[in-house]
Amino acid sequence: MEKTRSVDFGALTLKDALDLATLVEEEAKDRYEELGDQMEIHHNPEAATFFRWMRRIESKHEDQLAMRRAELFGTAPRTVRREMIFDIEAPEYDEARAAMTVREALGAALRSEEKAFAFFDAAVSQVRDAAVRALFEELRADEAEHQRLVQAEIDKLPPDPLVRADDEGDEPVAQ
Amino acid sequence: MTTSPTLPTFQAKDFKSDLKPIWCPGCGDFGVVQAIYRALSAVGRPPHEIAFVSGIGCSSRIPGYTTAYGFNSVHGRALPIAQGIKLANPDLLVLVAGGDGDGFSIGGGHVPHAIRRNMDLTYIVMDNQIYGLTKGQLSPTSPKGLKTVTSEYGSLEEAVNPLLYVLAYGANFVAQGTPADMAGLADIIERAIRYPGFSFVNVQSPCVTFGEEEQQVKAHRANMKTLASVGHDATSRIAAMDLAQQYGRTLHTGVFYENPTPPTTMDGLVRERQQAQVGEAKPRARVLERFIQK
Amino acid sequence: MSDLVIGMAGSGGDGIVSAGESLISSAAYEGYYAMMTKSFGSQVRGGESSCRVRLSTERVLNPGGTLDVAVALNWEDFLRFGAELPVSGSTVVIYESKTGVAPDKIPLVGVAPLEVFAVPIGDMAKQAAGSDKAKNTVVLGLISGWFGIPRAGILRGLAKKFARKGEELVKANEKAFELGEAFAREHPLATPRTLDPPTAGQGSKMLTDGNDMCAAASVVAGCEFFGGYPITPSTEIMQFYTREIWKYGGAVIQAEDEIAGVGAALGASFAGTKSMTATSGPGMSLKTEILGLATIAEIPLVVVNVQRGGPSTGLPTKPEQSDLFQAAFSAHGDVLRPVLAPTSVGDTFAVTVAAFNIAEHFQTPVILLSDQEVAQRKEVVDLIDTSRFEIEERRRPNATELENYARFRLTEDGISPISHPGMKGGNYQGAGIEHNEQGNPTASGKIHEKMNEKRFKKLQPLKHRKDLFRVEGNPNAPLALVSWGSIAGVAEEAYGRARAEGLDVKLMVPWLVYPIAEEVFRDFFASVKSGLVVESSYQGQFYRLLRMFTDVPGCVRSFCRSGANPIQPREIVTALRAAAVDLQHNVHQVASQD
Ligand SMILES: Cc1ncc(C[n+]2csc(CCOP(=O)(O)OP(=O)(O)O)c2C)c(N)n1
Ligand code: SF4
Ligand SMILES: [Mg+2]
Repeated sequence: MEKTRSVDFGALTLKDALDLATLVEEEAKDRYEELGDQMEIHHNPEAATFFRWMRRIESKHEDQLAMRRAELFGTAPRTVRREMIFDIEAPEYDEARAAMTVREALGAALRSEEKAFAFFDAAVSQVRDAAVRALFEELRADEAEHQRLVQAEIDKLPPDPLVRADDEGDEPVAQ
Repeated sequence: MTTSPTLPTFQAKDFKSDLKPIWCPGCGDFGVVQAIYRALSAVGRPPHEIAFVSGIGCSSRIPGYTTAYGFNSVHGRALPIAQGIKLANPDLLVLVAGGDGDGFSIGGGHVPHAIRRNMDLTYIVMDNQIYGLTKGQLSPTSPKGLKTVTSEYGSLEEAVNPLLYVLAYGANFVAQGTPADMAGLADIIERAIRYPGFSFVNVQSPCVTFGEEEQQVKAHRANMKTLASVGHDATSRIAAMDLAQQYGRTLHTGVFYENPTPPTTMDGLVRERQQAQVGEAKPRARVLERFIQK
Repeated sequence: MSDLVIGMAGSGGDGIVSAGESLISSAAYEGYYAMMTKSFGSQVRGGESSCRVRLSTERVLNPGGTLDVAVALNWEDFLRFGAELPVSGSTVVIYESKTGVAPDKIPLVGVAPLEVFAVPIGDMAKQAAGSDKAKNTVVLGLISGWFGIPRAGILRGLAKKFARKGEELVKANEKAFELGEAFAREHPLATPRTLDPPTAGQGSKMLTDGNDMCAAASVVAGCEFFGGYPITPSTEIMQFYTREIWKYGGAVIQAEDEIAGVGAALGASFAGTKSMTATSGPGMSLKTEILGLATIAEIPLVVVNVQRGGPSTGLPTKPEQSDLFQAAFSAHGDVLRPVLAPTSVGDTFAVTVAAFNIAEHFQTPVILLSDQEVAQRKEVVDLIDTSRFEIEERRRPNATELENYARFRLTEDGISPISHPGMKGGNYQGAGIEHNEQGNPTASGKIHEKMNEKRFKKLQPLKHRKDLFRVEGNPNAPLALVSWGSIAGVAEEAYGRARAEGLDVKLMVPWLVYPIAEEVFRDFFASVKSGLVVESSYQGQFYRLLRMFTDVPGCVRSFCRSGANPIQPREIVTALRAAAVDLQHNVHQVASQD
């Protein structure tokens, strides 16, 4: 499905590209925050902790990109908007489940990095500005690196137990 | 902060309230509310000029997650309340939302009348083919044969087809979306809000807790067909009804029908009548004069 | 003679009700007081119909008891209304001679009327108008001629009524009227009776029924929205709105059912517009859920229930006061909902305005518990000086309150400033679910308790509103007469007669029938040893409510009967006499204990 709306990659300037990349990180950050809240509301502190950790990472990426943008373009107005992007690096809502394990949460994060990689990969082939291409190639490489990091975390974990909270937990409550 | 003059006044986040949703993680309704934020930011009306009315159900919690004036009323009665709001103040942007049970079972009788009055409202149904809030009972859109806690051996009734239902009653804007396609969903909702008259959006919004496997986002993504891709002519009600018959079998997304010449709205006509007659308005006390025998 | 009660019956085609309308509008024009009730068979058209018109030089309290004048266009139809058209030894009976019944053989068992006239009404009509359809006009001529009702007003009314249909018809009706008059002149009454001239001048009176008065009052009170569904006997209120409300920038919606009707009204009020709905018992049952929503969401709303005989479809065209329990209690959860009852067309104005003011001030649904009698009878009443009435508006948040706005803020008096869509900074979530001060959902028992307390506390001042009660008579009287709704007019007449007889009785007519104002009733009952609570229901619902919330002296009894069985002043007087005897008995007992 479409990930962006009204973004003309061919005409993207470096400023726009940096703004776009910043927004991608911001979107991911906000989503992790929401997922952390969801997990907390549904009494899943481990997954909540993980999503909040991811939130901090995405926030750091966002800040780094924003800083670069500020150095290069100061406070020149933004023309790309958050409303133009859809779940680029943000895990989809459908990834979450009330009783998900940390391993499953990591799986969601991994798929998000994969999505982001695919996005920048596709974008690289569309952009014309050389500086923008260089930026997107760099970001694509970052996403690949993030994938490796997340995968490493997954590998460290023992396999999920056979019996899941879903099976053992209380039935949902009718309201 | 500097903003470019071309940027709209409201961002999606301006419509997001501080209240944290208590929907089950994974619920389709999360995507729906996101799409609504986007659509509202595109439309550009400030939150305080929006009245968002719902009934009761998981989906009906949705107004509370927006910064609009919300009204989470009683089961099945969102449409009548919304129509009262619209007539009392036609300047408001009025959104109505709820579940399949709310809209097509207990509130089903109100739908035809909302359509024939054609007030400028947008009605969004989060159709998960199940009763979510009360824990998984049969809904009017559950497929025949579905086993639920109230249909232990499979349901014996045909499903209501919400698309055909509203098309048959004469709705002038009818669309279907899914959170599996966020951009598409935001787009449909925006168009529905902009449409001058009663507009209906059926959102296939999965219930991850009680819903069926084939009604989840993953299945949607694998099976959905955009109406554009099948070359559908959205100006033809008949073509729309033809395609709508596949509800429950093929997930078509996009605009089924959009009457290119929107008929007059009841709120518009009411305003006209008021303007025509308000000229004669007298001090209210003189309403009693008709009783004097002179 | 200061008072004249006329009862007439015929088949629908005879236009007997239309004759009654002519009589009462001419009375209003001349400056008399008057009251008119109608009664019909259950056919939509052409069935038997009857009306009672009471004309008086003084305020009319009720439709009156036995008739001074009875008009029968045919006996079958007249007899169908037996209890509603009682004939006695002081009645003048006028009937169509074509019925072939001899004056000494009229089918009124066990009564010998004062005088009986067999009149060729149909023939006279034919002579005047070429058709017996003008029978009703002949009747008007007869009544005017015999009882001295000014002819000018009636002729003026007829001219107005038939003007649209052409001069010829006007002339024919004048002729029919004159033939009636002439007949009366040629056959004078053995005991002449003439209505005294009116004490007030022309143009000093209004003529209307309770439904129209209620609708008009609601407009004066600032209402601009009506949502409803047709049901007898309330529909005229909606009809009034469809004619009038546009002029005031308002709107009306005929909804698909009563739930949608009250839903739309609630929505309009949520949007900041004063609004109302009106219905009768069956519709009231459907509205119940949304009434609860209005209570918890604290949205002002006036709901009119024009009571008819119940349960279920019951007696759709007859009055009864049996929906009081429903008005007070039909709700799930802890609900306190003000219920106001008008007693006449005249006071319907003030009570309706009060209902809106209470709804707006306290942000609550208010039930205006009218009944078929009040709603559909016509009355000639004095002009109303609307400037005497203060119109209240709901409390809106000011700029300071809009900063950090909390819709359900716990205030001293329990009333929180209410915003509405369009008001910047006032955004909130209205809901049926329990909420905190900000309006966010909660399941906290502590907050629930606080909010219940708020919703109950805010209404307490109502119970001290002395203006919502009418109390008359010696404050220390040992005998009490309590009545509400339309039947209160009958009780009031009984009260007057009992006092004239020397009974030491006082009268209480509450407009606020729920919540029960404990203190007001405690004060009222302080001197009371015995008495009656008069109402028109099988259970005596108000009496039971009183007993539930106040200490009603043991000897005060319920005087009640199912609707559609009119209670007469003389029955109440008789019961009061018996209560007075009780009293002596009690006093004696008390004395012997000393
Ligand atoms: C009058 C009434 N009847 C029943 C209910 C219980 N109830 C609440 S929500 C609901 C159905 C919810 O299903 P749906 O409308 O499809 O919404 P969902 O939860 O699936 O989003 C029911 C039966 C109620 N609140 N009020
Ligand atoms: S029960 Fe279903 S519909 Fe309700 S919140 Fe959970 S997933 Fe959503
Ligand atoms: Mg549902």
